[in-house]
Amino acid sequence: MAFKMSVQKAKGKVEEVQLGSGDNAITIGGEATLPFYDFDGETGSKAKLGMEILDIYPEDWVKPLKETYKDVAEDPAKWAKFVEEEFNPDFICLRLEGADPNGLDKSPEECAEVCKSVAEAINTPLVIAGTNNHEKDKEVFEKVAQAVDGYNCLFLSATEENYKGVGAAASMAYSHKVGAESSVDINLAKQLNVLLGQLGVDYGDIVMNVGNAAAGYGFEYLVSTIDRIRLALFNQNDKTLTMPIITPVSFETWTVKESMAPEEEVPEWGSREQRGISMEVSTATSILSVGSDAVVLRHPKSLETLKELVDALE
Amino acid sequence: MDKFMVIGERIHCISPTIRKALEERNPEPILKRAKEQIEAGATYLDVNIGPAEKDGEEVMTWAVKLIQDEFDNFPLALDTANRKAIEAGLKVYNDENGKAIINSADAGGRMDMFKLAAENNAKIIALCSKDGIPKDNDERMAYATEMLEKAMEFGMDPEDILFDPLFLVVKGMQDKQTEVLEAIKQLTDMGLKTTGGLSNISNGAPNDIRPIMDSAYAAMAMQCGLSSAIINPCEKRLMETIKTCDVIKNNILYADSYLEL
Repeated sequence: MAFKMSVQKAKGKVEEVQLGSGDNAITIGGEATLPFYDFDGETGSKAKLGMEILDIYPEDWVKPLKETYKDVAEDPAKWAKFVEEEFNPDFICLRLEGADPNGLDKSPEECAEVCKSVAEAINTPLVIAGTNNHEKDKEVFEKVAQAVDGYNCLFLSATEENYKGVGAAASMAYSHKVGAESSVDINLAKQLNVLLGQLGVDYGDIVMNVGNAAAGYGFEYLVSTIDRIRLALFNQNDKTLTMPIITPVSFETWTVKESMAPEEEVPEWGSREQRGISMEVSTATSILSVGSDAVVLRHPKSLETLKELVDALE
Repeated sequence: MDKFMVIGERIHCISPTIRKALEERNPEPILKRAKEQIEAGATYLDVNIGPAEKDGEEVMTWAVKLIQDEFDNFPLALDTANRKAIEAGLKVYNDENGKAIINSADAGGRMDMFKLAAENNAKIIALCSKDGIPKDNDERMAYATEMLEKAMEFGMDPEDILFDPLFLVVKGMQDKQTEVLEAIKQLTDMGLKTTGGLSNISNGAPNDIRPIMDSAYAAMAMQCGLSSAIINPCEKRLMETIKTCDVIKNNILYADSYLEL
């Protein structure tokens, strides 16, 4: 008897969400099977890789990176253009660190100006990340969403605390996409989607950020959360969990001791830059292999490595 | 396990409003009840046109098209003793959102309905009876096995057969209740799907008590594996119970708003 491959059929499918506009728009999601399981079903769009830039000079970044960006880092629009031309990521993630109330506390208007200048400078889709201060993010996103109207950006993120303001501004008043952020809490991940839906946000305009952790830092729990979210969709066809997942990997991996410890303190650990890249690459690889549809990276070397991986597995 | 399947029972010719609407081909009362049930969380709608000996084919065709046209080909259970009417309903049925359910076959005179289901790629409710109510679980299981074999001979997938152990009224048949639950368990252990007219159990009880009895029974039956039931989805307490049991059984993922979904 001929061998018949048994196939695990999925009942649900991840929505395809478009970011950006025009020729360089990208699609994330669309899979109806676990990542890279092309023997079981449709794997959807290729995983998308984004690069992080800031709205202020990256004081805390490793020296070689500051060197790379030395001519452009004072101007986010130039920085974004440089990244687009030099490294060609699928998207650029502009992180509004300057808006942090515990830092420079820039006004929503200033942030809106910066975001607009960046959106105008590049053709690559733009993801805009806030400060993690829910109240401030809401105020900032309301202004920014208006300023980048038409660019179909993704806003990171709406949380349980500010989803009404962020959801209404980003996706209802202007046609952007909303990130729904739950911190490694599978039930909250679902709940937030339901709440955004009840508010009037189309499920097709939501991208989940279900949590973020560097490998070795509670990472297994994050992995199991993503796994269970995907299985709830594929096995139970849970319509409230059809959104693709984005993971801003670099936001976490560059803050752990492996990436932070100065070389003079732990000479046996070797180059700080190399350690940072290793943390970023190992975390991003793992998170893609469990089902994240997009990741944000900081180092060009990480981007290059991940690109090679994703292309090879295609 | 799959989420519990709720088959809405409110389009039933025993209701004077529905009977009149079917007779007069008046869409409004039928669409109203369909909408209410869909909004309340029904997965299927039962369309019971009664024995419909006179114009069954015409009535079923009209009702299937009416509901499916209005509600994006919502899946239906075609419920009548008139075989020709079911055939007519299947002809116009669109199964893009779910196979039709034939309601029903049994191990007696309606054994040939399995053939109809097989030919039309439909699901079917299989009553575990021949003539009247089975006397015990040995009889129930014998009928179930007989029907399963017959259906498979016709080429049906066992997944598409919903075995109905026949729910019995508590008032008067209290001593039989555990046995029915046991039958659900046995069928489930065989990997089979189950369903039934759940509110039978509370027949004759005061209206304010019935939802309580139905809910408790649903919870116990779901623990035994009951995979669907023909119920009134607009009965809030019962639906809340079913959704909560689905959460506890890990058939659906919990979120604070799970009752609203």
